[in-house]
Amino acid sequence: MSLEKRTVVIDRADALFQATTRRGFLRAMGVGGSIVLLPSVFAACQSDGATGVVTPTNTTYTLDLSNDIGILNYAYALEQLEAAYYTAAITSTGFSQLSPNEQEVLTDLQKHEVIHREWFKKVLGTAAIPAINFNTTTVGTLTANRTVLLSTSQALEDTGVSAYNGAGKYLTTPAYLLLAGKIVSVEARHAAAIRDIRDGANGRLFAGDDVVNTSTGLDVKAEPGTVGGAVNGLNVILGSIAIGTPPDASKKTPDAPAPTPT
Amino acid sequence: MENQPILDTIDPELMDRLAVRREEIDRGSTPSKGVIAALALGSVPLALAALSKDLYAQGLPTVIQNVLDFALALEIFENEFYKAVLGRSASAAQNTAFASVRASAALVPGAAATLDQIQKHEVSHVNFLLSAGAKNVFALDATTFDFTGNRSATGGGPFAKATTDLAFLLEVAQGAEDTGVRAYKGQAGNLMSSPAILEAALRIHSVEARHASRIRRMRRSAAGAPASVRYSGTVRGGDAAAAGATDLGTNAAAVTAAFNRIYGAGADAATAPSEANITQGGIDLSTLPNTTGFGTEAFQEAFDEPLNRSDVVAIVQPFFIPNIF
Repeated sequence: MSLEKRTVVIDRADALFQATTRRGFLRAMGVGGSIVLLPSVFAACQSDGATGVVTPTNTTYTLDLSNDIGILNYAYALEQLEAAYYTAAITSTGFSQLSPNEQEVLTDLQKHEVIHREWFKKVLGTAAIPAINFNTTTVGTLTANRTVLLSTSQALEDTGVSAYNGAGKYLTTPAYLLLAGKIVSVEARHAAAIRDIRDGANGRLFAGDDVVNTSTGLDVKAEPGTVGGAVNGLNVILGSIAIGTPPDASKKTPDAPAPTPT
Repeated sequence: MENQPILDTIDPELMDRLAVRREEIDRGSTPSKGVIAALALGSVPLALAALSKDLYAQGLPTVIQNVLDFALALEIFENEFYKAVLGRSASAAQNTAFASVRASAALVPGAAATLDQIQKHEVSHVNFLLSAGAKNVFALDATTFDFTGNRSATGGGPFAKATTDLAFLLEVAQGAEDTGVRAYKGQAGNLMSSPAILEAALRIHSVEARHASRIRRMRRSAAGAPASVRYSGTVRGGDAAAAGATDLGTNAAAVTAAFNRIYGAGADAATAPSEANITQGGIDLSTLPNTTGFGTEAFQEAFDEPLNRSDVVAIVQPFFIPNIF
């Protein structure tokens, strides 16, 4: 057995809570291997003084939405959430309960959202917010079966659409607005696909009356505060998203229907 | 306006602006018919759009007016197309032309409902844009379109098969929706001086994307559909290949050329790249971490691309009998 197989490297706090890591831990212990905790783990952890148990910190990810970088970080936070969720989803029990055609959708979405996340991270560079730690227990619950997997996916995609639709007006750089526009239509395609799976043969939910206003034909939109509250309410983040500096109040508009799965 | 409880849901800044506007109206200024009509409909978004027009005493800035007029032409086109398909056109000839494909759609579970839902949105977009100040500068109506792509009142163009064949109709509908997505995306930058109108345009843009996604799924569900027509509703590849069209009708060259324009690069590839583009903001997506094994297709699908107005006009002009723009 090679050294690599007897060494479990932990580079992120939440890795400690993943089943594969735990198995690796036990296997390594059984053969006299070692556990390496990289310094990055401790940056995101605090030790419980009484028990010595290391637990992930509930981090507050604070956004400054007064400028374009902050708006892009807001999008980056949402893409991190989507990417983490679908990455867990495609190996979940819920995924195994989908048909091959439905699995194709989730597999596509996972790739697209990881691409979005990595792209934002690279674009933002040193201005990027940290990698968000996710609550793997909650994510596990939200992927535990077909029904909750699809309803959560729909909520995430509709939230993404509403967030981008509500944030575009705050961007002041045309190139950033265009790039956000290139992403939001992909999110809308995703939302329609997930909704269509949940719709059966009715043929209307892809752009249902719950999201597209029946008199104006306008899609959902939400201000960042609304989106942040919805995301925090999912309890999938270890900690929360907070808005430090709000966006330009003179551009604010009323929210259109909150995206909740029907 | 004190009898408008719907306004209670508007945030304070907007209420302040409405209050200022009301003071002006009280001093003898009059609100536009658009604002009055929108409030009568009980529609906050309509009222806001009309209000934003109203606040420009000398009319909308030219750059915004041009976008609205362009968008209106596209929405009238889409609306009249689906009305003809559904037998709701004011033109009896249009209704008759699509009778055969209409009967086919009625046999597919969900198909007629989807077309109905889409048409409902398109007519809403037409009315919304009109309320926001868009002008129908080419006097477009049910009789000014040739959906076969021949610019003739008697049809006979390369897309005639859409009137009789559901699979072909859905290819064309997908192309129309994806053209709409690319058109709105290309105009967003021109609307930045009016946050309210920009936001409304973005909200139409995502609806068009939802439409295109659903149509892809309808097509993929039919026998013989290629896997490039994704169940996820996203655009794989560029040029005509991205249409995933297995039936090019009786004039394959013309239909292929149209799909090349719909999914390919515009005249200025720097500002309107092909849908196959995988470089975004100067970053080659294939070099990103954690994407090993994703394949080029995933990078193409993850970002949609804009078209400039002249590119869009080149796509849709064959379906408009009058010259547009």
